Amino acid sequence: MVDLVPTLLRQELSRLADADQRLDGRSRWGSRDVTLETDCLYNAEGSAKVTIGGTIVYAGVKFELRTPWPDRPAQGSLMCGAELRPVAGRKYEPGPPSPQSIELGRVVDRGIRESGCIDMAELCIVPGEKVWGVMIDLHVLSDQGNIFDACGLAAIAALRTAVVPAERFDVGEDHTLSVNGTPIMASFTRVGGRYVLDASEEEELGGDERIHITLGDKGHLHSLQKGLKGVFTPAEFAEIFEVAQTRCVELRKLVAEQEAN
Amino acid sequence: MGGYGDVQLLRDDGKRLDGRALDELRPVTVEAGVLPAADGSARVTHGLNVAVVAVYGPMEAHPRKIQRQDRAVIDVRYNMAPFSTSDRIRPGFNRRSREISKVTAEALESVVLVERFPRSKIRVEIEILAAEAGTRCVGITAAAVALADAGIPMRDLIVGVASGKIEDTVVLDLDKAEDNYGQADLPVGILPNTGEVAFLQMDGDLSPDEFNLAMEYNFKAAGEIHDIMVEALQRRYEGGEA
Amino acid sequence: MGWRLGRIGENRMSQGQTGAEQRLVTPGMAVGPSAGMRAGSGIIAKNDEFIATRLGWLQTQHNTVSVNPINAAYMPRSGDLVVGVVAEVRNNLWFLNINGSFQGLLPMSLAPWKVEFGAARIYMDVGDVVLARVQEVDECHNVVLTMKGVGLRKLNQGAVLDVPVQHVDRIRGANNERLQTLRDLSDCRIMVGENGRVWVDGSSDGIAWTRNALQRVTNEGHKTDFDALMAELEQLNKGDA
Repeated sequence: MVDLVPTLLRQELSRLADADQRLDGRSRWGSRDVTLETDCLYNAEGSAKVTIGGTIVYAGVKFELRTPWPDRPAQGSLMCGAELRPVAGRKYEPGPPSPQSIELGRVVDRGIRESGCIDMAELCIVPGEKVWGVMIDLHVLSDQGNIFDACGLAAIAALRTAVVPAERFDVGEDHTLSVNGTPIMASFTRVGGRYVLDASEEEELGGDERIHITLGDKGHLHSLQKGLKGVFTPAEFAEIFEVAQTRCVELRKLVAEQEAN
Repeated sequence: MGGYGDVQLLRDDGKRLDGRALDELRPVTVEAGVLPAADGSARVTHGLNVAVVAVYGPMEAHPRKIQRQDRAVIDVRYNMAPFSTSDRIRPGFNRRSREISKVTAEALESVVLVERFPRSKIRVEIEILAAEAGTRCVGITAAAVALADAGIPMRDLIVGVASGKIEDTVVLDLDKAEDNYGQADLPVGILPNTGEVAFLQMDGDLSPDEFNLAMEYNFKAAGEIHDIMVEALQRRYEGGEA
Repeated sequence: MGWRLGRIGENRMSQGQTGAEQRLVTPGMAVGPSAGMRAGSGIIAKNDEFIATRLGWLQTQHNTVSVNPINAAYMPRSGDLVVGVVAEVRNNLWFLNINGSFQGLLPMSLAPWKVEFGAARIYMDVGDVVLARVQEVDECHNVVLTMKGVGLRKLNQGAVLDVPVQHVDRIRGANNERLQTLRDLSDCRIMVGENGRVWVDGSSDGIAWTRNALQRVTNEGHKTDFDALMAELEQLNKGDA
């Protein structure tokens, strides 16, 4: 189903942007409330639930034993996939994975993979024969905007609580997966002509292109993605990049606090 | 039903491995209105099972060929999340989920006043987030609460519950071990006010007497779960009317 | 076959009858004898008893028992004022999304302009918002809309806000009194469509205030006393000024 965008919504969003306001009263770089819960799915080896406003996302980590790729005989593998099932909203329809859900999974995947927080060599059990495959599945239950940030946060939080089920597969003792870092995604959407942080459902409906930035613990870039029709200027990117640094530090703190509890 | 015989499922004191009596349910919790994007929703935990259901509609039935001129169709998708079981499930529909979706839809069509909504469809999305035996029943219970939460007219709620047989003994509400090593499983969907049955499946081996006892357990449990469902709907909207 | 007996019926039947004045009933609940009473919306009669079919508050008025639902989808009725969004344009008609199960059809003959065949798009395009009335609804839920009538028009400015359909009457109040209060407090033009869409036009602050007020109605409308909420919003407005 193609979203129907009322002309009046776009008009109002530009009017609000001119007055530096947003529909729900937030400031331009303000976020809705973010909550994080980990270890919340009994059959997953690592799990997290993230809510951002009315958006609800689960991430579950599973492990499987597999033979390594021939060109990397001593390395395990990581895969992150997202499902945008019809449960998530009226606009979602059943069928094979949509381009949108594939994009979502791959953007989250790249941020985690390229941050190097998982040492693939540590996932090797017998070189050339047996390695761990780590799979993160993202499940969006309610989409009220900004599912990218919710999925990014849920994925890394779930991974950081994961326990390798070695006993069940008869390859040693269960141990926590070592994860060296907390890559975090920050997403920006052009609404009423200017970028805002953490767009709501209505802002996404009446907005334009989006930019997703994943930053590692040292503030380095690990994944970037521009989605949807639209263009941006270097000055605009410089501005949101600065905001992304602050946002990522805040969310990383949330992950640390959750782990400390 | 999996293996028979060699696994001990009843303790010497006659109770089950998790300490339950023969006719005792696992703990059940129900919450209504949990998904902001949905028209109606519910979350049900039953033992370690977790089901979340979203309801959308009524809306125009698409594609046209599924439209019924005299009533609404109920479009159910029962889906197990990839991480819901011990071994990861590859995403997508399989034969098991298709069958469960079909019979669940037919059960729900028996309680929803579908004739009020010609040419429409009501989407019921059942997502199993964690599975520990009995997920189809948990899904039915959650779907009923979500439909009520969405304001869909129904002549009754519907409660999903199962009994079965372990070590030649009829028990209520099989857990994972009992399901794997038990001798029979009898999941039903009961209309808790009228006492009618809208969903029925069974596999394994039951004598007529065992079947009657299993159904008696199911009816007793349906009443208990119905109380929890009603309480959940009332809790969500407590505080009195304008 | 002992299980077939309605053994669970006894205790369940009494559930809807706990003495509280405002009874929140759930589908299937027995809500009292049907003798001498009429079944209103959300109620069916079965074996001399009324059964609730929806989640909501039980009401008895003029010998009619009904359920005032907590959630409801918009079901168009002829004469309804609706705020629609153009979803499709054909040569000689428009299809409007009116927040219902089905799109409404607006034929050229019921538009306020003299439109030549093939020129529909010049007058209204996809995404445009209009104030229209439901001309007729047939048994199969086909909806025909009209824009011929006082005040019916294309809306070129302002904002569209969503409210729960079942709260529309309460937002308006008797003789539109509450709606008038909202208009006075916000200093905005406000039109409330039966389809749960509200059109607001005025200053930025006025629209923002109305948005907040209607959000409160959405979140708390099912449980709070409406007049108390209005009084509170009135205070809020004075505080701002």
